Amino acid sequence: MPTDNKRIAGPEDSISYRLFKETSNESVLSKINNLKNNIRSDGRKTNEQRKIFLKCGVVSQAKGSAYFEVDNTKLIVSVYDPREIPKKTDYSLKGELFCIFKYAPFSCPNRRGHQQDAEEKQHSAIMKRALESAVCRHEFPNFQVDVYVLVLENDGSALSGAITAAGIALAQAGIPMYDTITSATLAIQGSTKLLDPTLEEEALCTIATHKSDTETGYDSHGIIVLAILSTHEQISEFYQLGNLNLDTLNESISILMNATKEIVPLVEKCLVDYVNKTFKANGQS
Amino acid sequence: MNLCEAEKTFILHGVEENFRVDGRERSQYRPMELETNVVAHAFGSSRLRLANTDVLVAVKIETDVPSVDQPDEGKIEFFVDCSANATPDFEGRGGEELATEIANSLTSAYRSTKAFNLSKLCILKGRKCWKLYVDILLLECGGNLYDAVSLAVKAALWNTDIPRVLAVNLDGNNVEMEVSDNIHECVKLDIVPAPVMVTISKIGEQCVVDPSAAEEQCATASMVVAVSQDRFTTVLQSGSGSLHPSTLRESLKLGLEIGSKLDQALIEVLKQKPAKKQIGFLM
Amino acid sequence: MLQEIHIRLAETRDNTPLAINQRVPKIFTPGEIISEQQEFMRGHGTYEEDIYLKASVAGIKEQVNKLISIRPLKSRYNGEIGDVVVGRITEVQQKRWKVDTNSRLDSLLLLSSVNLPGGELRRRSAEDEHMMRQYLQEGDLISAEVQNVFSDGSLSLHTRSFKYGKLSQGVMLKVFPSLIKRSKTHFHDLPIGASVILGNNGFVWISPTMVNQEDNVGGFTQNLEEVVPRGTRETIGRLRNCILALAQSNVMLFDTSILYAYEESLKYNVAELLLPEAMVDVAILTQHKLNLSEYS
Repeated sequence: MPTDNKRIAGPEDSISYRLFKETSNESVLSKINNLKNNIRSDGRKTNEQRKIFLKCGVVSQAKGSAYFEVDNTKLIVSVYDPREIPKKTDYSLKGELFCIFKYAPFSCPNRRGHQQDAEEKQHSAIMKRALESAVCRHEFPNFQVDVYVLVLENDGSALSGAITAAGIALAQAGIPMYDTITSATLAIQGSTKLLDPTLEEEALCTIATHKSDTETGYDSHGIIVLAILSTHEQISEFYQLGNLNLDTLNESISILMNATKEIVPLVEKCLVDYVNKTFKANGQS
Repeated sequence: MNLCEAEKTFILHGVEENFRVDGRERSQYRPMELETNVVAHAFGSSRLRLANTDVLVAVKIETDVPSVDQPDEGKIEFFVDCSANATPDFEGRGGEELATEIANSLTSAYRSTKAFNLSKLCILKGRKCWKLYVDILLLECGGNLYDAVSLAVKAALWNTDIPRVLAVNLDGNNVEMEVSDNIHECVKLDIVPAPVMVTISKIGEQCVVDPSAAEEQCATASMVVAVSQDRFTTVLQSGSGSLHPSTLRESLKLGLEIGSKLDQALIEVLKQKPAKKQIGFLM
Repeated sequence: MLQEIHIRLAETRDNTPLAINQRVPKIFTPGEIISEQQEFMRGHGTYEEDIYLKASVAGIKEQVNKLISIRPLKSRYNGEIGDVVVGRITEVQQKRWKVDTNSRLDSLLLLSSVNLPGGELRRRSAEDEHMMRQYLQEGDLISAEVQNVFSDGSLSLHTRSFKYGKLSQGVMLKVFPSLIKRSKTHFHDLPIGASVILGNNGFVWISPTMVNQEDNVGGFTQNLEEVVPRGTRETIGRLRNCILALAQSNVMLFDTSILYAYEESLKYNVAELLLPEAMVDVAILTQHKLNLSEYS
């Protein structure tokens, strides 16, 4: 993205007051241990996802768009018409997706700049990889489809939400696709696996904790994002961070596979509803 | 360079047969050559050659202020430069996408405290820390970049000497730091748990490691796993393409096995006491 | 089963040069004066300045009567009529294909200089023009002969013989064109069960030996179904690694040297031939054997 000098940048150095809270090894452990009876702070079970709200056709200018909301994670995806790949010299047989993932400046506890930072760039790349295998790219050679994601509010699992929503937006835009694409996030701390984590839970799981000296054994921690084409059972993206062993990964794959399957009917219903609505509207006119 | 169908078929059948075009088995690496301490101005450097892939890594150290949310940790940053020397495709901004992808994967792989402990790089909590700049230069591309880059980065960090800090004083708001004059008096980092990455490509129905440039063209999907002491620090897919869950599990298992073995081989080599003789860039 | 992973330090590399008892000819560098006399004629790789004849490329001097030229040590392929080349189709155009043959400019293969399926004397119709991509498409490999050299140095190829045409399953290697020894034939059906085409342009093609070559009319068939048996595959793999070993040590490539290298390499398994020591060893032994056979 080109630098936008006219936009007012935030103050050069600012520190969120939240950072002055005490976070220590013990506090992380105690928070995790509080979950022992599998009930999280918001009353969910560890393997329960938050309620998802989906709607497509929210941006009238865009060819396809979707709004995704789980509790306090809210994001908008818009998809624009295919256009010729700019500044491309050689002919490419397959079309490309161009993804931009952006947190709104006010979406996180810390203010985000209006330019993409490294994390946002990486998320864009992950989205691109995940979505490209869902789209019939051979049907629009030498074209690119732009997918823009704006996270309005981030309370965890924004990336997987963005992938699911982008799948809907692409479908609504009439881009040929092999399958619906759904995605879910799993956060792991020790033996606790939290499906669809909130921002706080995500933060808990990026910290490596030391177990008490009496317990030998290994403390795994990490975050996994999985995107899947459900009917073909093809994993189009698997992205893991942290420090995990093979068994934990294998278990997590199963959990995530089930979670993504739960979302599929929602996605389908959202699209069917949209079609019905337009159909009715057209019939009336 | 695009292969024709017949060549791809030949490679595919070879993988199926567990006898690849160059005679390797599916889980076999090509021989590698490593040299450390090749750049005089760097605090640590290495050069790794894997068949036609050639990677040069140099580590520079500067002091910095620790970030607010991690006041007792230093910093590490990765930069990848896809030099147009490697292939003309990298000319201009051509290699940028690949470069950020590799740099991002390294950042993710080194993020866990278990894999790379940044707290050793802290000089004075909240005030001063070391920042490692890891610059990766691709001199030649012959397939399997991730693996080669991660090995070279680990070797360069192994080779890195951090200046010994003798005293730190807090003078009002300024941090005064005294660094040892003796260039031989240095601190080494604990690099043993640092991750190595293994690329696993799915060709036909099988998974192979260390794909050559030609084999990369035949792959339907590839995974990159970063392995640190028998645990995964990062798993990601490279390039577009999708795989079945069972293939994913299989490639994770293979990646873990190969990664541990690769790591072991690298550490063994690094532990050999390097002689004075330098080869540098003379072939 | 897991194989051992070889990582070694650069300093343990032994740079054993091939001990060849050959006189190294003088190598001219660009700008170097070749002759101060004006009686010589200016050939390739030279230029005249004032009264001097100077080299414009790094290479060795070749003199034919009064014509002096400098042949560069490493260069892209300079085609000559009659050369056998292996090339890759890069573009399908109107009535012709563009072929990458490692020369400075892409070579051309005209629709009129290929044998289309159905016999040599078949007329070429407009339909054939539309079908061109079905005969040869981008990425396909062909073997061909140089028919003509255009004034700009680009080559015109032809495949008007049953031995030329589209290549099927196998491996292509790239070596320096100067390493390919010119000989009567560049097609070798080696007695070990594989065929090698040593293209003059430095592209080497290794493939399983065709049993019934007569069926292969016009050479536009590819057998994608056939699985190359393990034994043949091993031979091809070994040949590939041997040729690369020879090329790395700058041993000339021709049927005898390849066969010698193959014999010498038998003490290693195929994958071991990727190790630098084994490569040098095979090259030295081959060179030695070649020297012996030359003197006997």
